[in-house]
Amino acid sequence: MANIPIWPGSSSFHPGDTPFGFYDNNPEFQVDADKFATFAARRLGYPIVDIELQKFNFYAALEEAVTIYANELYGFKIRDNYLTFEGAEATFDAEETIVVPNLGRIIQISEQYGVEAGTGGNVDWHTGEVNLTSSVQDYDLEAWAKANIPHYKDHDIEIMRVFYEAPPAILRYFDPYIGTGMGTMNLMDTFGWDGYSPAGVDFLLMPINYDLQVIQTIEFNDMIRRANYSFEMHNNKLRLFPIPDGTVDKLYFQYILNSERSSASFVVGGSSTISQIYDVPYKNPDYDKINSVGRSWIFEYALALCKEMLGYIRGKYQVVPIPGDNVTLNANDLISAATGEKERLIDRLRAYLGELSREKLLERRAAESDFIQKELGNVPFPVYIG
Amino acid sequence: MALFGGARDISLFRHINRELMADVITQQCSFYKFKLEETKVNLYGEAAEEKFYMGPVLLNCLIERANEDFPETDLGTDFTWGATFKFLRDDLLGKMKEFNLDFAPTNYQYGADLVPEVGDIILYQEGYYEVDVVNSNQYYLGKNPDYPNSPQLQNPGLDEFGYNVSVICETHYVPADKVGITQERLYTGNNNSMYDG
Repeated sequence: MANIPIWPGSSSFHPGDTPFGFYDNNPEFQVDADKFATFAARRLGYPIVDIELQKFNFYAALEEAVTIYANELYGFKIRDNYLTFEGAEATFDAEETIVVPNLGRIIQISEQYGVEAGTGGNVDWHTGEVNLTSSVQDYDLEAWAKANIPHYKDHDIEIMRVFYEAPPAILRYFDPYIGTGMGTMNLMDTFGWDGYSPAGVDFLLMPINYDLQVIQTIEFNDMIRRANYSFEMHNNKLRLFPIPDGTVDKLYFQYILNSERSSASFVVGGSSTISQIYDVPYKNPDYDKINSVGRSWIFEYALALCKEMLGYIRGKYQVVPIPGDNVTLNANDLISAATGEKERLIDRLRAYLGELSREKLLERRAAESDFIQKELGNVPFPVYIG
Repeated sequence: MALFGGARDISLFRHINRELMADVITQQCSFYKFKLEETKVNLYGEAAEEKFYMGPVLLNCLIERANEDFPETDLGTDFTWGATFKFLRDDLLGKMKEFNLDFAPTNYQYGADLVPEVGDIILYQEGYYEVDVVNSNQYYLGKNPDYPNSPQLQNPGLDEFGYNVSVICETHYVPADKVGITQERLYTGNNNSMYDG
């Protein structure tokens, strides 16, 4: 029957003693590993009581704590900067990089609005035309699409714009029959301003709002008193108003294909493009760069891990046999305490990191600025009497 | 194939037992092993003259001592005083066992190399107790690694599973003048073993 040694009171770290070896070659980690083992064993009760752990357990806990600390830290950095990371080439050393945000991804995200508004975007607008027939008011653009678009899938077309409008009102600006009741020639004559040009051509410069009002008058007139150009569209079936009379033989429209809009959402990156959070090139941290604040957290978390480990060891069997009896150890207490401590430490770290987000920092700066202004407002203004 | 109660788990139990018994409970007794070969017995196996004992050996144990009792018998008022001594069986095995040879973190040398039997004497505080019954059947998980039934295909390696935890001696009080133990030769040993007497 084997005799498995337990914590003897001291240890000596050697590279390879941790499960993953992430930090084994870091001199400061090598020193801290043994110090932590002593610290954790004493915090768990040694030398008053035996600690059923070995140095490897302490080292594993320390390595895990460092990794979790880095995971929380880098996870926070990724969350805070993912709009900048996504789509970039993962060819930089993330640990050594200061991330300067840019609007690239914001603009990419905004392209969807440009598509719908017809002001840009990443989806092609295609142009189509149908022949208008005199006295025919309804035109099925879905049928047109089936007949004219190669490899067309049903209901793939979405009409974005129909060019069926009255001629611009500006064309009729000088129409003497529009009934505005304002003849500029008479006006100039009345004021005695005509006849200044040798050619007999005089112009009266009017403010732009006058032109707009005239144009609006023409459009209102067409819309209210006359059959205006308009259309309705339901399920890609176009109904024109007024009914074409043969004076216009083609109607143009613009459309997009839903399939193209969907495909535009997926941009295939290269093998080194950051397309997932795991592509962001964070590695394990350099232990010697972690400051005392970080190491303090790491030691506390590693201690909680040791406590949990010891709890599981002591609790593998509900009771431990002793001569003529059984004893129950403190496994449940250890596990319960360790679980609580781990949660509290993670929450504390996340809250701490959350306060360091770019959003929170800017909020704090703004608040500081407000408070400074308020404080300065209490300084009496000097009154000068000259 | 056995899965639970393996040697590593048993090693943990041994550590906990020794910590409990040596550092927490700290009950001890002295064990006088009866020397059968030096004791002359009659036809009925009775020692009419001197009895010889080895020891004493100091042992960690758990002790349950009953209250003194004075039963009335046909011969008058009697006196009984029972006690039960519970030993960790591993402590009684040989010094050269792996788990006794180098038992960190303490510097104790475990391994009394002693088999308690009926007739042995235990000294506890001011009283001598003669062993009446010896029980060694506290098997953890019901397995005794001393009987692995090897070789077998169904459950090979059973000698690495289970635990024979204890040796429990039930005793009765013996007056000191009846035992009459005196030191036969002077012990001159100087090692730090707690079992050399």
